[in-house]
Amino acid sequence: MGQTLLPILVALPFAAAVVCLLLPTSQSVLQFVRLGVLGLVFPFALAICKVLSHGPLEAAGQWLRMDALSAYHLAVMMLVFVGGSCFSPVYFRKDIEEDHFSISRARRFGSLWFGALGAMTLVLSSNNLGILWVGVEASTLLTAFLICIHRTPASLEAMWKYLIICSVGVAFAFMGTLLAGASASGRLPATEALLWTHMMEIAPRLDPMLIKAGFIFLLVGYGTKAGLAPMHSWLPDAHSQAPAPVSALFSGFLLNSAFYCVLRYIPIVETALGHSGWSLRLLVFFGLLSILVSSAFMVMQKDLKRLLAYSTVEHIGIMAVGVGLGSAGAAASLFHLLNHSLGKTLAFLSAGRVGQLAGTNEIARLGGLLRGSFVWGVGLFWALLILSGVAPFAVFFSELQTLKAAADQGSWWTMGLFLFGVGVVFLAILRHAIHLAWAPSNRDVSANSSSWLEKIVVLCPLALLFMLGIWMPESLQRVIREAAAIIVMGGRQ
Amino acid sequence: MISLSQTWMDGLLVMLMLTNLILLGASRLGHGIRLIAIQGALLGALPILGGQHGWTARMLFLAVITIGLKAVVFPWFLHRALRAGEARREDNPFVGHTASVLAGLVMLTVATCLSARLPTVGAGHSMLVMPVALFMILTGPFLITSRRKALSQILGYVVLENGMYAFGLVMLQDVPALVELGILLDAFVALFVMGAAVHQINREFDHMDADQLDSLKG
Repeated sequence: MGQTLLPILVALPFAAAVVCLLLPTSQSVLQFVRLGVLGLVFPFALAICKVLSHGPLEAAGQWLRMDALSAYHLAVMMLVFVGGSCFSPVYFRKDIEEDHFSISRARRFGSLWFGALGAMTLVLSSNNLGILWVGVEASTLLTAFLICIHRTPASLEAMWKYLIICSVGVAFAFMGTLLAGASASGRLPATEALLWTHMMEIAPRLDPMLIKAGFIFLLVGYGTKAGLAPMHSWLPDAHSQAPAPVSALFSGFLLNSAFYCVLRYIPIVETALGHSGWSLRLLVFFGLLSILVSSAFMVMQKDLKRLLAYSTVEHIGIMAVGVGLGSAGAAASLFHLLNHSLGKTLAFLSAGRVGQLAGTNEIARLGGLLRGSFVWGVGLFWALLILSGVAPFAVFFSELQTLKAAADQGSWWTMGLFLFGVGVVFLAILRHAIHLAWAPSNRDVSANSSSWLEKIVVLCPLALLFMLGIWMPESLQRVIREAAAIIVMGGRQ
Repeated sequence: MISLSQTWMDGLLVMLMLTNLILLGASRLGHGIRLIAIQGALLGALPILGGQHGWTARMLFLAVITIGLKAVVFPWFLHRALRAGEARREDNPFVGHTASVLAGLVMLTVATCLSARLPTVGAGHSMLVMPVALFMILTGPFLITSRRKALSQILGYVVLENGMYAFGLVMLQDVPALVELGILLDAFVALFVMGAAVHQINREFDHMDADQLDSLKG
């Protein structure tokens, strides 16, 4: 079953990308994006269910493999894509009416959108660390032109920064991959040297010097794309200039797909170094730095989308700290991944729509959103509160679990800095959110009407985050436990 | 026999190093592209000369593809981007050309010191492969950060890619051909996308100075 399913999963999005190039009108492309992604949910869900009930799927001579960790990421990715795809026709409607969304632009959007989905599926389903890298590089290149769908000087600038900084970052990750492969040389047949499962098996005998050097390159390289400070400089520009569905995709999953690559290496490195916690300490360091740096920028922030972009840096930092705190922290970090992706997708979609209606993203000039555009105003206001970590929503609980993991480990410094950073972010976001909700504004943000689809796009993530905050299904807990065990122990209990 | 191929190989590596140093001092963009082409050809020939167990069909096949891409297709593509734009020279880089060459010598020293500490795992045919590879890996990011023109930054990226390729030759014995092809294809697509980006920047800004792309801050 897995033999055919996994290659099909990787191939289907690329086939859909080609179909997008053949469609006749902008409307039809956007409809195809929406229906196509909804249709892809079925094979993806089938694969995820198979993995969770029968254990890992393998295909193509073990080059493709899907276990609980990748299946969990795949599920989050599909949530983000479904949200973004359902929203795209709403968002681009105005552009189509004003003739800013020609057929060539629509085709480019559709094909790159599906292409990014395909590349990230390849990342999540590859067992070969070389192919993993190829997937990350491909997703970088495919998403670059999504940033400048609306061709303005600012969006081209953001695209160029993204392209150059991330290409160099990913090139460093390639060097890390080579060093990791070299650490296994002589211990594995050359053709198997880059297979994750085989590396895991012989991990205790890997060359410790080479794997250490390799991990530093990998963390800096993939960390650049994941948006860890201080390598995050491209991120606020790209997120703020891209169209809303693309920002949601970047923040909701593209960064996580790069962080996933770091997660894959952690059990190998830790086993090779005799579980000394060396790589985990590095993650905690970069995580805390990301939280603190982003919190400083969020206090001063004037632009709504840049505020959300820095919030992404903060949340990636929280995930990195979580993973660095051992098995309880890893589980909290994976839970946080789901919560953040849901909350941030909602936030970017709402912010995009609000910005479109008001004609500006400047926080000072926006205001009175709860009265103006009800659906999107409510969506944005609650999304901001959720991202700042307000109880009883799920983000609050995953942050609490991370904090508890730090307390259990007795790492008081981590706890203190974490609390300080998250506290500053909370106050900063609260200030902006209150301004956005109630400050008087002369900008008219009232939409003529909100369709049922818009209400669903806003309500579903809100309801899910509320539910996960007060009740977590047993099956989800089990998946997260299994996935966390892969990060910590490589899957062996 | 072995010593002969060794001599050839050392010569090749020294030439690679020289292209790098000349590139650091080159101000005309067309000149830089030609240097990149030469570097690509030298790099493609490297595994053929370095093979210890004679030539295999796979090795020749990969060498032909590497040379074809790095010495013919990339430069052609970059030339097209150059013709489309206004700029012909990197007139006023952040770090001057003489200073860049001096920085290059410093980087070469650093690369040599570093390579002494790293074990070479792959076929250790020449002592020079590792220092030259590291030299290119250092030069790439240096060019990207010290140059103003978008096209010069692309040249820096290609040098970085070339360095990675040489580094891969020393670090791994046998990468599966499919992975190697995937990496080459990625380098090709990266260049294609960057070229297209430069084209769009040209159309929008009437220049390709990446340093004027500085309106987004904070």
